[in-house]
Amino acid sequence: MNKQDTAKGSEPMVQIKNLSKWYGDFQVLYNINVQINEGDCVVICGPSGSGKSTLLRCVNGLEDFREGDVIVEGVSVKEVSHNRGIYKLRSKIGMVFQHFELYPHLTALQNITLAPRKVSKVPGQETEKIAMELLERVGIPEQARKHPGEMSGGQQQRVAIARALAMKPDILLFDEPTSALDPEMIRDVLEVMVNLAKEGITMLVVTHEMGFARAVADGIIFMDEGKIVEQGDVESFFKNPASERAKDFVDRVLVHI
Amino acid sequence: MAFDWDVIWRNKYLFLGGLSVTLKLFVLALAGGLPLGIILGLGSLSSRRWLYYPTRAYVNFIRNIPLILVVFWVYFSLPLISGRSLGPFTSAVVAFVIFEATYFCEIIRAGFQSVSKGQIQSAYSTGLTYFQMVRYVLIPIAIRRVIPSLLTQGIVILQDTSLAYVIGLREFVRTAAIVDSREVRPLELYSFVAIVFLVLCLVGSLVVRRLEARDRQRV
Repeated sequence: MNKQDTAKGSEPMVQIKNLSKWYGDFQVLYNINVQINEGDCVVICGPSGSGKSTLLRCVNGLEDFREGDVIVEGVSVKEVSHNRGIYKLRSKIGMVFQHFELYPHLTALQNITLAPRKVSKVPGQETEKIAMELLERVGIPEQARKHPGEMSGGQQQRVAIARALAMKPDILLFDEPTSALDPEMIRDVLEVMVNLAKEGITMLVVTHEMGFARAVADGIIFMDEGKIVEQGDVESFFKNPASERAKDFVDRVLVHI
Repeated sequence: MAFDWDVIWRNKYLFLGGLSVTLKLFVLALAGGLPLGIILGLGSLSSRRWLYYPTRAYVNFIRNIPLILVVFWVYFSLPLISGRSLGPFTSAVVAFVIFEATYFCEIIRAGFQSVSKGQIQSAYSTGLTYFQMVRYVLIPIAIRRVIPSLLTQGIVILQDTSLAYVIGLREFVRTAAIVDSREVRPLELYSFVAIVFLVLCLVGSLVVRRLEARDRQRV
């Protein structure tokens, strides 16, 4: 893969260091350590309730955490999480959600242009041009003037991806982007994600789509009960999972495919 | 007995004056009550205790006393503290804003709660600040969802304006009373006032229903 060639410098793009998180007395993340290099696509998988989504939300400060830290492009999430620095950090990290979460009162185009207009203060005409290009890129330029309620799930999720790309992020977070979609819509969304991965944008993807992982992921993380059970190379994870739990999981998802 | 509907025409300028006071009071009560209601609604959902508790104390206190007491308090008691009277119109506006904001607060709070956590998080994830998220995402979505309740409350406010009668404000109902004291035509005069209120409220309800129909398609 030529992605390693595009990696600049030696600092990882995202470093999760000794991260632990509690909800009240209940610990949901145990001492998580992850490094993601620029241009890498890393898949996080594991049974539901294993803390995958929570971990993802710690990266852009949507969830706070008690111990450890996340360093994104040299910036400590812990340090900026209580000042305005968090807004700047988030504008460089795009996020795509399981249930799309588009703004229902705005058209597809307006959903995409809101952040560039208000956060980056790019003039309206220019943002519309960029938004149209993004809608072309995700394959639904004809939906530009429609409201989310008038679109299918797959179309909404592609608008959501365009919205996440509109701020020209260095990193994209995907939180089970295909889990709420009808089977025939999943492929359209995965196709867009595969293209993004091939273009070399840094991606952290929580998903059960193991086909996607095998096709484009540079690394895989398997989580269970708030802990990282395994992390490493995708093929060896599928061929020889080291732990019983991962073996169990791989057996189940591969049979499913 | 014979009706004398001409009594209304003879006093049309008085009635127009009274109606304009009523409508002004109504518009100012809305213009002040709605923004204050939005602020109270945000305070009601705040996780900061120093914001949450005073907001809820204020809202629950005002909502549990009759409007007429708030009107009396502003008109009669406030001057004792501040040393100067606001006059009936300003007193009525202040009392209505103080009172109606708490009702708007409860409506808007329900609207805010209907906005999914994910939509708020997605706004944050693109780098929007708290105030940008509130201004461009939370308020537009929430207000659209509660427009019918807001307009219903608006109709209630329009009717409530007649309470300003008690502090001597020459609004629409008091105008009729003044004309009646001279002409002694209570049936015609108060029926006319009732019909005007009825028409205004029916027009309001019609708008409510149209907006509800439009809204169902979108949010």
